[in-house]
Amino acid sequence: MNRKYRSFAGTGIAAAVVAVSVLTAPTASANDDDVIRRGNCSGATDWKLKASPEDGRIEVEGEVDSFRKGQTWRWRIFHDGDVSARGTATTRGPSGSFEVRRVVVNSRGVDTIGWRSVNTRSGEVCRGSLRF
Amino acid sequence: MQSPPPALGLRPPEATASGGRSWARVRRVVANPVVQFFTAGALALLVLLVGSGWLSERAATREAIWDARTTTDLLASSVVEPALTRGVVAGNSAAVDRFDKMMLRHVLSDDVLRVKIWSRDGSIVYSDQTRLIGETFSLGAEETDILRDGGSDAEVSDLDEPENRFERGQGRLLEVYTQVRAPGGQRLLFEAYFSYDDVSRRSGQVLDAFRPITIAVLLIFLAVTGPLVWVLARRLDASAAARERLLVAAVEASDVERRRIARDLHDGVVQQLAGTSFALSATARESASRPDDARQLEVLAGGVRQSLRALRSLLVEIYPPELKTEGLAAALDDLVAPVAANGVQVDVHVADTSGLPDETVALMWRVAQEAVRNAYRHARCRRLAVIVDREPGRVKLEVVDDGSGFDPSAPPAPGHLGLRSLFDLIHDAGGDLAVTSSPGQGTRVKLEAATP
Repeated sequence: MNRKYRSFAGTGIAAAVVAVSVLTAPTASANDDDVIRRGNCSGATDWKLKASPEDGRIEVEGEVDSFRKGQTWRWRIFHDGDVSARGTATTRGPSGSFEVRRVVVNSRGVDTIGWRSVNTRSGEVCRGSLRF
Repeated sequence: MQSPPPALGLRPPEATASGGRSWARVRRVVANPVVQFFTAGALALLVLLVGSGWLSERAATREAIWDARTTTDLLASSVVEPALTRGVVAGNSAAVDRFDKMMLRHVLSDDVLRVKIWSRDGSIVYSDQTRLIGETFSLGAEETDILRDGGSDAEVSDLDEPENRFERGQGRLLEVYTQVRAPGGQRLLFEAYFSYDDVSRRSGQVLDAFRPITIAVLLIFLAVTGPLVWVLARRLDASAAARERLLVAAVEASDVERRRIARDLHDGVVQQLAGTSFALSATARESASRPDDARQLEVLAGGVRQSLRALRSLLVEIYPPELKTEGLAAALDDLVAPVAANGVQVDVHVADTSGLPDETVALMWRVAQEAVRNAYRHARCRRLAVIVDREPGRVKLEVVDDGSGFDPSAPPAPGHLGLRSLFDLIHDAGGDLAVTSSPGQGTRVKLEAATP
């Protein structure tokens, strides 16, 4: 194996590791009490869902990074399976992303928070959920 | 002749008290009508301030509670009830989220600090304190009545109750209940909490509005009537002084008249009786040859002497002896002579009273006279001691008897003042008078006066 081949092969392994880690939507914690999920949409877009405790409530953050600004997306936040909040948003900035923040009631027991966003033009769908 | 004082004559209200010039000065100040008027004015002002504060707080409380009930009713009918959905009542998380958002935006405020929506079984369907949602507590009778019949009610929150545990630390709260209906017709209880500080603030506002007017009116009244009262008091003082002058003049006139009568009796009848007594005794001695006549003459002489003694005692009572010329000791001897003559064992001890002011000696004589008279006539004593003692700067008179005694705290019989009439005189002279007695235990009258 020559040097060039080894370099290409190393890059491919690293990319594969990153891809696997993204596809399996690993859990990461910015704060001990925060719960975060990330994932890929049906196209090239990424999504992130984060839940943080907020004085007896849960602050939910949904984020979509499409890397293209000006796209319009319809989004919904689900709480225990029902729509808690909905709206539309447009990707902005160099990263071509938007972020939605809402506060929901922290009900007794485990809360299931869901996220669904649809690109109104391409129909690309992002969905994910977490348990808090 | 003085009217005989009863045993109660030794019962002045101040009998067990003692006092001096300072106490007399305080009493004079307290008795001053101007001082009394302004003291009463100050008290009225105080009562007015306290009373108006209390009334304004009541009014403000009523008003604040009324406002809180009106606000709660309005919120319940126009905001809460329209937003209530079956999902909220059923505990659907997303429905509760939307309801919570609406409540935080439109209901919770600086006035409404907390809300709770109760179902009939006592479970909390919704509260902005989300940790309470789903918890169950027992509802009181009033809340149950409102759930059943409607209406509203308000009360101060009992923060010791477990459902109010999250409200602790926010000070006093006023909670208002009213009924709301869910879409399915289910009756729920809407409860809103208000800060009680609002009541205090309103009370202050009401008080601030009325207090200056109230104080100003009272101060103007005092300012207007004060001078009038002062003038009236001056007139009263002048009138009292004139009355006192008249009284003193009357007493002095009486004194002069008594002295004249006493002198006339002493220089006339007493001398004549003394001469008659001597003459009869001498005649009796010269009639030794006629024993019956001599005996008869001696009996007559004895009768005259007895009348002479009685007359001397009467003279002592009518007018005090010439203390200055004869001295206090002689005067006291004369005073107790009739008592001793009636079988009472009397001890008189008088220290040197030379150099004492005439007023002090006269005062001691008057007190001794009253005390001896009471001890003999009313206490029926068998032993009596009159002691005058002197220390540097002080002179002391004590009259002690073993008579029936009395209760010094009992009021004197009407019209009989006895020693009481001497109290003011003693106080004005800077003396102290103490009377110690109890029924069956005799009496001790003690006068102390300052000497130069």
